[in-house]
Amino acid sequence: MSSDVIFQPLRLGSLTLKNRVLRSSLAGRFDNYDGSGTPVRINWDVKFARGGVGAIISSNAPVHRRGRLVPGFALIDRDDRIPFFRELGKRVHEYDCKYIVQLNHAGRHRDIGDLEFPKGLSSTDRPEPIHGFECERMTRPQIEETVDAFAQGARRAREAGLDGVEVAGGNGVLVTQFLSSAINDRDDEYGGSLENRARFALQVVRAIRVQVGRDFYVGFKISVDECMNEVFPWLRRGNTPADSVQICKWLEEAGVDAIHITAGAAFPHPRNPPGTMPLRDLVRTYDTIAASGRYTFRNYVAFRTWPFSSIFRWQWERPVRRVGAEGINLPESRAVKEAVSIPVLCGGGFQTASVVANAITSGACDGVTIARSLLANPNLVELWAQGYDRPPRPCTYVNKCLANFLEHPLACYEESRFDSHDEMMREALRVYETAEGR
Amino acid sequence: MTENGHWPAIFQPLRFRNLEVKNRLFRSSISGRFDNYDGSGTETRIDWDVKFARGGIGAIISSNTPVHPRGLIVPNYAHLDSDDRIPFYVELGRRVRDGGAKYIVQLAFSGRQRDIPSVLYETGLSSTDKADPIHGFPCERMTRAQIDEVVDAFAQAARRAREAELDGIEIHGCNGYLITQFLSPAINDRNDEYGGSLENRARFPLEVVRAMRKEIGDDFHLQFKISAIDDGKALFPWANEGTTVEESIQVCKWLVEAGVDGLHVSAGYVFPHPRNPAGTFPISDVIRSYDTMLSSGKNTFRNYLMFRTPPINKVFAWAWERRARQLGVEGINLELARAVKQVVDVPVLCAGGFQTASVISKAIEDGSVDGVTMGRPLIANPDLPNLFREGRDRAPKPCTYCNKCLINFVESPLGCYEEARYDSREAMVREIVSVYEGAPLPSELE
Repeated sequence: MSSDVIFQPLRLGSLTLKNRVLRSSLAGRFDNYDGSGTPVRINWDVKFARGGVGAIISSNAPVHRRGRLVPGFALIDRDDRIPFFRELGKRVHEYDCKYIVQLNHAGRHRDIGDLEFPKGLSSTDRPEPIHGFECERMTRPQIEETVDAFAQGARRAREAGLDGVEVAGGNGVLVTQFLSSAINDRDDEYGGSLENRARFALQVVRAIRVQVGRDFYVGFKISVDECMNEVFPWLRRGNTPADSVQICKWLEEAGVDAIHITAGAAFPHPRNPPGTMPLRDLVRTYDTIAASGRYTFRNYVAFRTWPFSSIFRWQWERPVRRVGAEGINLPESRAVKEAVSIPVLCGGGFQTASVVANAITSGACDGVTIARSLLANPNLVELWAQGYDRPPRPCTYVNKCLANFLEHPLACYEESRFDSHDEMMREALRVYETAEGR
Repeated sequence: MTENGHWPAIFQPLRFRNLEVKNRLFRSSISGRFDNYDGSGTETRIDWDVKFARGGIGAIISSNTPVHPRGLIVPNYAHLDSDDRIPFYVELGRRVRDGGAKYIVQLAFSGRQRDIPSVLYETGLSSTDKADPIHGFPCERMTRAQIDEVVDAFAQAARRAREAELDGIEIHGCNGYLITQFLSPAINDRNDEYGGSLENRARFPLEVVRAMRKEIGDDFHLQFKISAIDDGKALFPWANEGTTVEESIQVCKWLVEAGVDGLHVSAGYVFPHPRNPAGTFPISDVIRSYDTMLSSGKNTFRNYLMFRTPPINKVFAWAWERRARQLGVEGINLELARAVKQVVDVPVLCAGGFQTASVISKAIEDGSVDGVTMGRPLIANPDLPNLFREGRDRAPKPCTYCNKCLINFVESPLGCYEEARYDSREAMVREIVSVYEGAPLPSELE
């Protein structure tokens, strides 16, 4: 059977997964505002472990309070966070599933303005293009502190008995803000040439290796094609696949065990998560676009006012119309895989067994990471094992999950996938079922 | 100072028919979005309430507690909508009593007025089918069958409160939520037996009280919070005045006849309202964090302009703050409470900016009220009752009535956001997030 390759073990450095499927980084705002974790988060992750994935990549875990993308995600910024992650790992391990923490610093990129640090840190001092959140250009000592925060975050992941870390280097977060030629405008040793722009990322990887040693999985997620001009046509494109392939080679030399492929130097981005723009849900819930940052009026008009909203959506959906959502990043993945000798993981709309099997056997990637399709069908891997090529009710790539997560529990909000609105809400709220303490 | 200690009027017990409270100070219904989205309670909520018990308050009135998921005002408040919620409230009540205070649960139903539209129900229920004036959330006019269902939901929640061994119930009958939507002639536009005359408009709350009494019996504390005046003209002089004090007094008499043990006086037929919480309108915090006014409902563009665009936002803030300028913030509702107290023989509580012991003491001594309820001043100083007990008249760093607490709670943890009250911004954030310190590890929950 052609999908057998999906169920072959995957070696990632010192780590071996039971199959080729990883849950990509995704989570709702299930934790406390102060960054402490909750039982709800554990319920959330265990659901996917139970569904049969080989490993779970955590939601982005900030290594420092200033690096938060959005409140309500567990942080890994202090040693007293370790017991929570230890418990989380223990519960996921019960399903023969590995747990990889995604270490993140959001930099200037945020979904909600931060209470504690109104200004983000970045390679630049220009505001981020979607909300217009302000930031300050990092000084040399701030860079060193942040490199150390990543290293300490990795040490905590190891001390918590978890199976590895992934450096969040794509999708517009701080590491991207250094890597990207569309964002980084420095003229010191951290900006200008590709080598200089990669300096921060490589320092992070090396500092992590010093803390965790050679025998602990360290992955790196990178936006191979940055395509910033697909977000707004007046932005520069940013790094090309050729730039990113070179970065991946350097990352391999610096000790990275696997590369995780994504796209776009911003989030959300037309290529990630690829699919439609759910305007109706966005105007109702993605309030911060209209309330925070400098570009509130532009965003109010762009999202709410016809015909601007339709034009914006049409423009946003262009890449997906051209190449489709499933496997949208496979060409870039293949390009990286041809240039490095470490495994390559690829994200982007996967939910069809034959597509995944073909991607692996044709040498485009070694494994796939899945987010939305698992959100729609947490037992996707089991369904494949039972012989389904696609789940009976597949993900429709409408991105309502994403649009709703700031205000509502992260879940599938595509009503057509459920028998009724009630059934959809019951499913969305199930994550809280065992949450009530005492 | 007297032989009875400081402020003897404040620290004498208050006896309701079925409940005795150790002093005359109540924490009013306030809380942040500390619970789970599905309405289950959390340890953080318990820690939040216990903090005030430790500060010396006589009784805590819970945050608004929906009796049905369709009646939530904002997600992440604990519900009392099914029997499996009872164990959480048993624990909450026990811990608050251990902290030295009584626990009164405030049962609520939002109706058309909400802070965030629910994903569970797109339209609210109301006496009317006209959208709420703040956000413009759509609603449907309740049918007779829906009215009966909601009355029963209130009654069942009351039964659960008693089964959870709490100390009493407050019916949330004010500030523009469902019961106000029936009481207020500025909102209620029905022409059946629930609309029109005062008697008809009062039918729904009276049915709620009687249905509750049937479930909880006659020996369980039941109080009612009412907006003694709608004050519809507070913001726009051309608006409908709404319920007058005279009408509210009549409603209070009926409520007492129907079995209410105490009355809690507030004001305003919407929330927020210039009288409640009276104080400043914090424009810069509003545009940063009260996003839902910009994204949900029909009135988003009006709200965008009103809050973000000078001089419109300045004019709006000026109009908003007029009532507070005219009447003062502390004790803004005392005249209303006195008017109610003169005609009922149950204890009367009053809300509205109280934080000065001499003001509170005088209000009790001159017979305006029997006790006071406090929201914002306790957020600023949770130990305010203990400070009074030590003989202070006011906290060294009193509440400034800036209303930043209210405006931040939709997006950030409820706390005091008035930076001037702290040594630094860091100290402020530390204090605000300290409510999560006691959150247990998942392994401790098993």
